[in-house]
Amino acid sequence: MNRFTLKAVGLAAAAALTLTACAGGGDDPAAEPDPTTGGDDTTPVTITFTWWGNDDRASRYEESLALFTEEYPHITVQTSFQDFPNYWTARATEAASRSLPDVMQFDLSYLREYSENGHLADLSTHIGNEIDLSGFDDALVQSGVLEGQQVGIPTSTNTLALFYNPGLLEQTGVEAPAEDYTWEDYNEFLAAVSDAGETTPDGQAIYGGADYTNTFWFFLQWLVQEGVTPFNDDGTFGFDESHMSDFLALTTDLREAGQVYPVDRGIQLLPLGGFTVNESASEFSWDNFLAGYTADSGTEDIQMLPVPTGSGGDKAMFFKPSMLLSSGANTEHPEAAATLIDFLLTDPEVGAIFGTSKGVPADQAQRDAMVLEEGSIDATVVEYEDAVAEHVTEPVPVPVKGFGSIEAEYKRLAEELAYGTVTIEQFVDSWFAEAAMMTQ
Amino acid sequence: MSLTREVTGSGGLSTVPPPAVTRRRRRAAETRAGYAFLTPWLLGFFALTAGPMLASLYLAFTNYNLFSSPEWIGLDNFRLMFDDPRFIQSAKVTGIYVLVGTPVKLAAALAVAMLLNNTRRGQGLYRSVFYAPSLIGASVSIAIVWKAMFIDQGIVDRIGQQLGISWGGWVGNPSMTMPMFVLLTVWQFGAPMVIFLAGLKQVPAELYEAAAVDGAGPVRKFLKITLPMLSPVLFFNLLLETIHSFQIFASAFIISGGTGGPAGSTLFYTLYLYQRGFVDFRMGYASAMAWVLVLVVGIITFVFFKTSKSWVHYSGETK
Repeated sequence: MNRFTLKAVGLAAAAALTLTACAGGGDDPAAEPDPTTGGDDTTPVTITFTWWGNDDRASRYEESLALFTEEYPHITVQTSFQDFPNYWTARATEAASRSLPDVMQFDLSYLREYSENGHLADLSTHIGNEIDLSGFDDALVQSGVLEGQQVGIPTSTNTLALFYNPGLLEQTGVEAPAEDYTWEDYNEFLAAVSDAGETTPDGQAIYGGADYTNTFWFFLQWLVQEGVTPFNDDGTFGFDESHMSDFLALTTDLREAGQVYPVDRGIQLLPLGGFTVNESASEFSWDNFLAGYTADSGTEDIQMLPVPTGSGGDKAMFFKPSMLLSSGANTEHPEAAATLIDFLLTDPEVGAIFGTSKGVPADQAQRDAMVLEEGSIDATVVEYEDAVAEHVTEPVPVPVKGFGSIEAEYKRLAEELAYGTVTIEQFVDSWFAEAAMMTQ
Repeated sequence: MSLTREVTGSGGLSTVPPPAVTRRRRRAAETRAGYAFLTPWLLGFFALTAGPMLASLYLAFTNYNLFSSPEWIGLDNFRLMFDDPRFIQSAKVTGIYVLVGTPVKLAAALAVAMLLNNTRRGQGLYRSVFYAPSLIGASVSIAIVWKAMFIDQGIVDRIGQQLGISWGGWVGNPSMTMPMFVLLTVWQFGAPMVIFLAGLKQVPAELYEAAAVDGAGPVRKFLKITLPMLSPVLFFNLLLETIHSFQIFASAFIISGGTGGPAGSTLFYTLYLYQRGFVDFRMGYASAMAWVLVLVVGIITFVFFKTSKSWVHYSGETK
């Protein structure tokens, strides 16, 4: 090879590689079109509908949409779905090109960001026309209102719960916490289970649970118990550095003594976790996770408890509106979109199809339509929400703009804290610095 | 450029030179035809590469979150970068990967190429087999397999246990993730190996024979003959692999689940760029990062070319 060819090819290759570096990245958000049979109505329309979730959810939506098409043959619905992180990447790029889906599943975390910039349609004109919310709790409907616009309507409600595995507790000889347990009691419980020194049939050590300070929503729950309103109406925080340090310090001793589920093992198990591989006896999460926990762990017997009691003496729980349905402001078929939203929110058969897999349905008719067999997952979740209703005394903290990002940042820093690569002080400093940028 | 000159030159030799006017006209027609053939490529280049690149250059000086229109903030993105601990972390991780991964990969490629350089039965098969990982190495499935190999109780952990080393799963251990990624890139040594092999074939056998007569051992032959004769190919491979290393993305994205964890130990530059752009929706910052990468790679390429004069020897060149 002579000098010219080598140099020329080298330069060209260098340029090409560098250029692709800038152009790369990003998952293809291409939809998987699934044209449910259209009708022969005089004005047929096609609308798009997208959600996040697993295959199980997809098949439930397909089943529901088949019913929808029977009832409204002139509306063709094209569907697609992604997992939660990729879902928001795809929506953000669509928002930039003003081509959001006609109907989409939405989360409270991102609602403000999208509505502030006028990307979501105001559904209030359709309420009472296409959309019938008579079976809804009014406060819940209001949670989808931002600056006077109904930018989303929740499908269901969730609240936090402590899940525990009685089988593992029996093996370790530790009693489950009593219902009026405090955060300190829970710490003692975690330490006791981990110190029992029991192992799974595979020889893995059994732990009491993961470090609960690693999730932003648990921090918010704790703040509410402390009497702090996490987010003010003007988008500022109601908490400061000392609140966050105090919360993170709750489990410092457990972390140092290795009494919480080890982070390096947890990372390797993703997307499963210690609780779903039956190596961890308890876990905090949203109550609609029960179905997923049961399916993933293969453990039939999973029990639920409310969150610990705060220093003020009560649990100060809240119902989080979840799985909102919204419509892109760019929609060309607002009536058809509203018709689909109404069908998904209020049709009793849809309620029966989904059960509690998206949370307890917000609509009375859908709740009544659920088949609650004694001891079934749906029955357990509904019973749980009924049982904790007396503890639900606070409104849900309304997420600020940039919530999705500051929540992710919290999770990332919590991982570093668990590895011991940052101190609590560094954690808090980094988080507030990042949050200042994200919420501006 | 040299290529065109050669082609037209040799064409001129074989025929009687036509009159000057006809020749010029024919050349103009050829040029037009050439550009016509290039059109699809040019369209692609301007619409899919140059356009977005210019857009990203503009966005690098703005605050742009995809939802509202970009807002000009001058050099703020670049200033923020150097106060951003995660940016520093990502630069560090990528730097270590490039500095360690590239030389080790090239050494492996050269070693295997020298083994395969001897004539023996079935050498075609050996070459194909050693090249195979390069074809599939960058794929998503290999990243998933890699993760499964290096997890708790995975094959690597079990081998370690057999040898009496309890290193556990590498995937969850921040100090072992970098060796894992270096192994992944070294395993894909096929492409530089093939180029090395082509280079080795061109080293005249007389040189080795002469050296053997003079009593030179294998190490001396390697240092005094193979390396200098191979230096143009080495330069080419070094440049290519360095740039390639800067762009590691897919495997890091898959193995860490897009987070760059555990504890930021796999936060490669492009992964962080992706996070800033598509998770935090800070496109301005992400664009600025992309341009810093272009600049750094450009400077490294420039330095390589400048220093190459002192260590790259082209045959037939007098020193």
